[in-house]
Amino acid sequence: MVSSNTTAGYGAGHDASVPKYSTGIAKVVNSALYRHTLGAAVESRIGRIILLAGVPLIWLIMLHVGPIYQMLKISLLSHYPVQPGVESNFTLDNYAIFFRESLYFTPLIKSFIFATAATAVTLVVVYPVAYYVAKIVKPEGRSKALLLLLVPFWAGELIRTFSVIMLLANRGAVNVLLREIGLIDRPIPMLYTSFSLGFGLVYLICLYMLLPLYSAIEKIPSQYLDAAADLGAGPFTRFRRIILPLSKDGIVSGCSLVFLTCIGVFATPMLLGGPTTVLFPETISGFFHGASDKWPVGAAFALIMLVTALITAGIFMRLVGGKKRSAF
Amino acid sequence: MNNILVPNRRTALKMLGGGAAALAMPAVIRPTPGWAANGVLNITTYDKFLPQEFLDKFQKDTGIQVNIRLTDDQGKQYNLLTAEGANPSTDIVTVAGHRYSQFIASKLLQPLDTGKIPNWKNLNTAYQDAPWARVDNNLWGLPILAGYEGLARNVDYVKEAPSWEIMFDPQYKGQTSYIVSDFMTIVMQYLGHDGDFVSYVDKPDVAQKATNEARDFLIKHKDMVRKYYDAGSEVQQMFINEDIYLGHSWSGPAAKLIMDGHPIQLSVPKEGTFGFCYTLNVVNNAPNAENAYKLLDAVLASPEVGAAMTRQSGYSSTINGVGDLLNDREKLASTLPQEELERIVFFSSVNRDMKNEMIDRATAEVKAA
Repeated sequence: MVSSNTTAGYGAGHDASVPKYSTGIAKVVNSALYRHTLGAAVESRIGRIILLAGVPLIWLIMLHVGPIYQMLKISLLSHYPVQPGVESNFTLDNYAIFFRESLYFTPLIKSFIFATAATAVTLVVVYPVAYYVAKIVKPEGRSKALLLLLVPFWAGELIRTFSVIMLLANRGAVNVLLREIGLIDRPIPMLYTSFSLGFGLVYLICLYMLLPLYSAIEKIPSQYLDAAADLGAGPFTRFRRIILPLSKDGIVSGCSLVFLTCIGVFATPMLLGGPTTVLFPETISGFFHGASDKWPVGAAFALIMLVTALITAGIFMRLVGGKKRSAF
Repeated sequence: MNNILVPNRRTALKMLGGGAAALAMPAVIRPTPGWAANGVLNITTYDKFLPQEFLDKFQKDTGIQVNIRLTDDQGKQYNLLTAEGANPSTDIVTVAGHRYSQFIASKLLQPLDTGKIPNWKNLNTAYQDAPWARVDNNLWGLPILAGYEGLARNVDYVKEAPSWEIMFDPQYKGQTSYIVSDFMTIVMQYLGHDGDFVSYVDKPDVAQKATNEARDFLIKHKDMVRKYYDAGSEVQQMFINEDIYLGHSWSGPAAKLIMDGHPIQLSVPKEGTFGFCYTLNVVNNAPNAENAYKLLDAVLASPEVGAAMTRQSGYSSTINGVGDLLNDREKLASTLPQEELERIVFFSSVNRDMKNEMIDRATAEVKAA
């Protein structure tokens, strides 16, 4: 509720509806500086909303836009960090290197293919789980079921990655089990392959798919499914004609989140991947860790990856998510 | 609820004040930065290089508070120090031999004044004025640990490894591992080239041809590799899990496995390898340089410190008398037969820029192939 007395004067002599302040605060609110700045701004509703929105906005700019701006700045320099006696100039060459040499193009393409495949697999694996929790589990048990699914995510990403190593290594749990029950004589090399990377990545990021899907499926009225069943629609038809279209929002959100996470993931491919699964983030990190002065190239490549990933996710959301209005 | 969504003046001011206070909190509660305080010493080093007991004793004896910042990569350390410029936040860095000249050329280190280190005499004479250590007529760091790039093998599966050739033997397909950039210089040696680029000064074409040959060789044998690794702990983990039977490894991580009782053997094949020292270096413009010298002197004060460093890191200590304090297994792990010892050539400080440039690019090409 907006106060009706906010335009009244402050301090002594005001009418009864005007707020009373202690002497110190009254001094501040009666000062010309306050009245002409903050005081004036909070007089109007719009001013108050702008001021309040400003605080989280500053936070966002500082922590999210700030580093990206800094990266952009570095990407346009010829040298960074600048060594003594070296001059750093403006250049676009760091971006040109990417388009000039296929050497760097290949890992980006690999990253996109891998992220797309991982997103598709995550969707296929997680969708039935989300459906089960949202529709099969009784309403009073859903919170508990969700909580159980979230338990592994209480541990950090690195710890979960190492747990995958312990599982898939030559002397890991899976190989030991297979050997103990006599199915194999020699360990199956599962770790440091595309399989281990895909397996680990799907495990690490499935939460980003689960929550949007659960949220979307849970909202589908059960009466729709009952009505369809009464009209003779089989399970597959009900899924294809009702559940899938109505959960499209969740699919689009989940796929976008998972794809954008996959494309930039760094530690997991380093720990679980093999010699043929070198992805673009690892190529970028090479510029920051390498012996030479290559931060600007790394920064330019990071921005190229960011922009192409956002464009891809945007196109996907437009193509898949955008059809919703015309379909319903 | 409505007050929050459509705030009145007082609510808006309260929320604004609260929000601003929350944003400012990290700056308010942040303690004085360690690097700016008196009586402190900031060290960037590898995990397990400086024993905790030694640090505790040093702090107790001198009243100097030691802050350790761990690093696992010379490049990261170099880039951070360069980015900090004339206002470094660390007083001592730990530089590996192959990066020694790069740190010096970039003016990141100050020349070492051995006169401020009374216990300098306790350093093994071989390291007191080693040719690789003296650059521009100055010494730049205190050598603390010595190592080499060796061929590690699981002796349960690989009995002999006289040559680097075994890394490309088809019977060990998918069971080898290496750091691409490091192993590429070894492969250059194996192919008969100069992996340290010393003889390639002013001969970029020859150097590029040799590098490309090693690069193509590694790409051709990419199927031999289980994983390209970066940190010593990774190769240790792969050996323990028996994911690999053979690997190019720095001597420290492999020796540590031997000390811990794993069936690993470390050797220097007939084609030779490269040796290096880790040095503790006082940073240029270090805010606590005097405290840094006190620590360097304390490191040399007792062979116990060197022995603890060897036990923790696996590398050989450069301090006199350490050998007498190690048990048989520790000695076995950190020593080599004389014949193999003679095959080690220490990294030179000559022609580093050319080497870094060519090896970095070839490394990216191998990984992308």
